[in-house]
Amino acid sequence: MNLEAKNAIMGRLQSLQQMPSIPASLYPLLKYMEQPAEKVSIQKIVDLISGDGSLAAQCLRVANSPLYGRSKDIDTIRGAVMALGLRRMQNIATSCCVLKILPLDRTEIDPLVFWEHSLGCALLCRHFAKSINFDNPEKAYLAGLLHDLGIVVNVWVLPKEFAAAVELARKREIPIHEAEAESMGITHCETGKILAEKWKFGPDLREVMGYHHDPAHAHDYRSLVALVSLTDLLCRMRGLGHGFTEVREIDFLEEPGVAVLKTECPELQKFDWARFTFELESHMEEVHQLVNMVYRAA
Amino acid sequence: MSPRMNPMPPLNPYVSRIRDLIYQEAGIFYAENKLHTLQDRCEKRMGELGSLSLQTYYEQLRVDTARSEITSLLNNITVGETCFFRNQPQLDALRRIVLPRIVQAQEKTAVHKIRIWSAGCSTGEEPYTLAMLMLEEKAGLLKDFSFDVQATDLNELSLEHARKGLYGGYSVRNLTTFFRQKYFTSAGDSLQISPRVQALVNFSRVNLFDSARMSLMKAMDIIVCCNVLIYFNSASKKTVIQHFCSSLQKHGYLFLGHSESLYGISDEFRLVHLPSATAYVKADREQGASR
Repeated sequence: MNLEAKNAIMGRLQSLQQMPSIPASLYPLLKYMEQPAEKVSIQKIVDLISGDGSLAAQCLRVANSPLYGRSKDIDTIRGAVMALGLRRMQNIATSCCVLKILPLDRTEIDPLVFWEHSLGCALLCRHFAKSINFDNPEKAYLAGLLHDLGIVVNVWVLPKEFAAAVELARKREIPIHEAEAESMGITHCETGKILAEKWKFGPDLREVMGYHHDPAHAHDYRSLVALVSLTDLLCRMRGLGHGFTEVREIDFLEEPGVAVLKTECPELQKFDWARFTFELESHMEEVHQLVNMVYRAA
Repeated sequence: MSPRMNPMPPLNPYVSRIRDLIYQEAGIFYAENKLHTLQDRCEKRMGELGSLSLQTYYEQLRVDTARSEITSLLNNITVGETCFFRNQPQLDALRRIVLPRIVQAQEKTAVHKIRIWSAGCSTGEEPYTLAMLMLEEKAGLLKDFSFDVQATDLNELSLEHARKGLYGGYSVRNLTTFFRQKYFTSAGDSLQISPRVQALVNFSRVNLFDSARMSLMKAMDIIVCCNVLIYFNSASKKTVIQHFCSSLQKHGYLFLGHSESLYGISDEFRLVHLPSATAYVKADREQGASR
């Protein structure tokens, strides 16, 4: 792509005026998620969710779903926190909050497919983190959920260019970031980093959004970035990607993310990649149901 | 609000332990969404054995050094019958990624012949499926190549069925109209596989532990061995995998069944991921050959 076109794209990104602002409840939810569970006040979480009418309704709908095997009706947020646990409720609330920023009528990328990928990554990141004794599984969940927000920026700010990139990726069966680089001269990693700064995300999430396709060049949070990078790749290879197949062969042991992550997590040396792959299936149902429920309730 | 679905009955905690035990012993993994089926099958076996609880049954499995009970349980879980096009993502990956790579590797050599081995071919659906896929590529990717499928099994009755090539019911459930019309003819209520597919498949009785016989299975490009190794103990599995390694070309691929793993069994193979499928390649294959 020529320099003039790329400069025009960069100019439009500078202001991000077309971008929705950060959902009101998201920032405090993220803050609470960063604190150790024992330090989080249940009442504060209950008040926060209850204070946002549509968020509270969505959370109750999800909490009452067969997904969590409930046999009694839960009719208050406090009841939901008690029944499902604080962390799970925070995860549900955060997911509901984030899912609103890509309305169902967008056609550049199927929002259901996009959020299924993000939520699948979130659940698998946490599971991966626990499996290799990574120090912060909840942070891993959040990082997985938010890693592709740059795609949302592209949908809002560069809809035509992004639609063309998705079409190219679909046609050539290549990853979206490769198609973006080729046709737009910029990827969702760069646009994600701009958004993370605008929304004042912490430096760890900023690095995840900016480097999850290039973990070796991350700076201070390389392990978290690598963890998301590997999980993202696995989701895309197992049919939980961006709505099309990437035709390629992957040896995870040759992935840059593995080299980065094993310096901090020695457990990765004997990690059973086959089992981890099969375990992804365990999350599929939860992912499909949760995303569908949130959108139906929206 | 939509009507509430009935939640599934709670899982007994011992089911996860049984799942882990099966994975450790047999190398096949049952994901969370399969655990209710697993519990159901365990309860069926418990009824036959007179076990009073899943805990007791788990203990029985744990001390079952002869693997007789784990075999009975696996027989209860895995469908005894097989079918054409059983694992579509695996077949797609084979056709879209693996075959072009093998062609590329062979183009550098004087031999232009692709050899596939269906090890544990049962009644023949798998090797015939592979032969049909190869025929589909005959005018394109494989136009300068010859190919065949070696299909082996221990059970002579299954092989007899396979050689006849007459199928119906469960076997043909995944067969599309395209393949049905192109490669089958009607024979009463059944379907007869066409002679040109049959001509590509060579059926023979082979015991995977027979070293002398196994040493004759040479220069394979692809080995497909689905739901066979799960019935072997760890030492036997290692023996068979070594045989496979000797039989496979350096650029070759080994495919196992859905959710089957070689973890802890072999250093001679490395896991690779293909779209919605996994396969094993030789550990000494050139690094960086992926992508």
